[in-house]
Amino acid sequence: MNTDVMIERSAETSPRLMARIAGVFYLLTIMTGIFAQGFVSGRLVVDGDAAATATNILTHQDLFQLGFAVYLIEMACQIATTALFYDLLKPPGRSVSLLAAFLGFAGCIIKTFSRLFFIAPLFILGGAHYLTAFSAEQLQALALLFLKVNDHGAAIALVFFGFYALLTGYLILRSTFLPRALGVLAILGGLGWLSFLYQPLGYRLFLFIAPLGLLGAAALILWLLVFGVNEQRWREQASAARQ
Amino acid sequence: MSTAVLMERIAETSPRLQARIAGIFYLLTILTRMFVEIMVRNRLVVSDNAAATATNILAHESLFQLGFALDILAFASYVALTALLYELFKPVHRSLSLVAAFFSLVASVVQAISSLFHLAPLVVLGHSRYLNVFTVEQLQALALVFLKLRAAAYHNIGLVFFGLYLLLVGILILRSTFLPRILGVLMALAGLSYVLFLSPPLVRSLQPYILIFPAIGQISLTLWLLVMGVNAQRWKLQASTAGELRFVMHP
Repeated sequence: MNTDVMIERSAETSPRLMARIAGVFYLLTIMTGIFAQGFVSGRLVVDGDAAATATNILTHQDLFQLGFAVYLIEMACQIATTALFYDLLKPPGRSVSLLAAFLGFAGCIIKTFSRLFFIAPLFILGGAHYLTAFSAEQLQALALLFLKVNDHGAAIALVFFGFYALLTGYLILRSTFLPRALGVLAILGGLGWLSFLYQPLGYRLFLFIAPLGLLGAAALILWLLVFGVNEQRWREQASAARQ
Repeated sequence: MSTAVLMERIAETSPRLQARIAGIFYLLTILTRMFVEIMVRNRLVVSDNAAATATNILAHESLFQLGFALDILAFASYVALTALLYELFKPVHRSLSLVAAFFSLVASVVQAISSLFHLAPLVVLGHSRYLNVFTVEQLQALALVFLKLRAAAYHNIGLVFFGLYLLLVGILILRSTFLPRILGVLMALAGLSYVLFLSPPLVRSLQPYILIFPAIGQISLTLWLLVMGVNAQRWKLQASTAGELRFVMHP
């Protein structure tokens, strides 16, 4: 039996295909994230105006509900991306790749849990009888408060994603099967996200950081989708690491 | 068989025993969850009636605390189950098995953190002086809001990720040689049902039928793991084929 047939029969997906699948999930993560944040949260939540926010949410309940579902799909895609990157980046550094995956995974859990406070306004504003103990203004303020908690929770996750991007960038630099420029871009993006260690700074710099992070992500996604990884070099590095 | 190989085989728990232990953890999870839902939450939490809920919780505080303890035990045993199934399905497809385990962990951690909101009512109903700035009705409403938050974390987030987990477990079973394919189909259907929790309106219109597939799938898998375990010989064959091919791929 020749090698090709054997590989085909293998339980493991080839590194190039795995890289492309990772690229697809990464792309879906970015697109769903932009949709939920930009077109749902950004359009319905009015900063500092609880009454307007409540009116928006109640008049566009379906859109709001859809935004929540898309947020969850975003996280599912990001978790899949994280797991696939772990396998893909094992050859340049097994332990570093595991550390990166754990940090990214921790970020995903924090962000997923934060989304609880995105959906909470729906039942706070839902007009249930027991909530008449509070005034309408109090309930609206509570709803906006929950949305803020959701935002800050997601910002905590950004710090973890920053560390994740730093390590991923380092692994790409050390790898022989991906261009080094992609690693540099990932590190720059990661440094940007770390500004959320001090959240006021992160929010102030957001308009510079976000495009930087997106640029690195877009370059990596495009490369993974079009070229995947250099499969022969990936195997060489993998077997060199094993010896 | 060389001595080294023999030693390696002995050092690892046999796949059949591992599958049975997984079955025990699954059974433990199902039983504790059913107990908490039926004996604690359904009896104490009255939907939309904050005053009755508050009275119930305060009158049966130890039962309410027991519910918390059993919730945590259920999550812990599900995490153990997740680790065991990850090992068990690694020979089928390593990356897919890892993605599945991640989904299950996210679901378990999110649900476990939301147990915070199971305990919160005890704090706000606890008659501390500093809470006097709120009226009794407001505190009772707040307690019910916390319980609703827990339910939302459990159903609207947790079940979706559990659904993805069960779906991937179903696919892994279908691709495996050591478990019957019908279990894979049942688990995939169970997972798809839970994924529908992405759309609460759809779930409301499908209640209670939406829970049929998850019940059938999970109970069948649990029983199979407990009684039959896995076909150990086929598991080892699939594991060694995966290993050999990896060797061929990276000589």
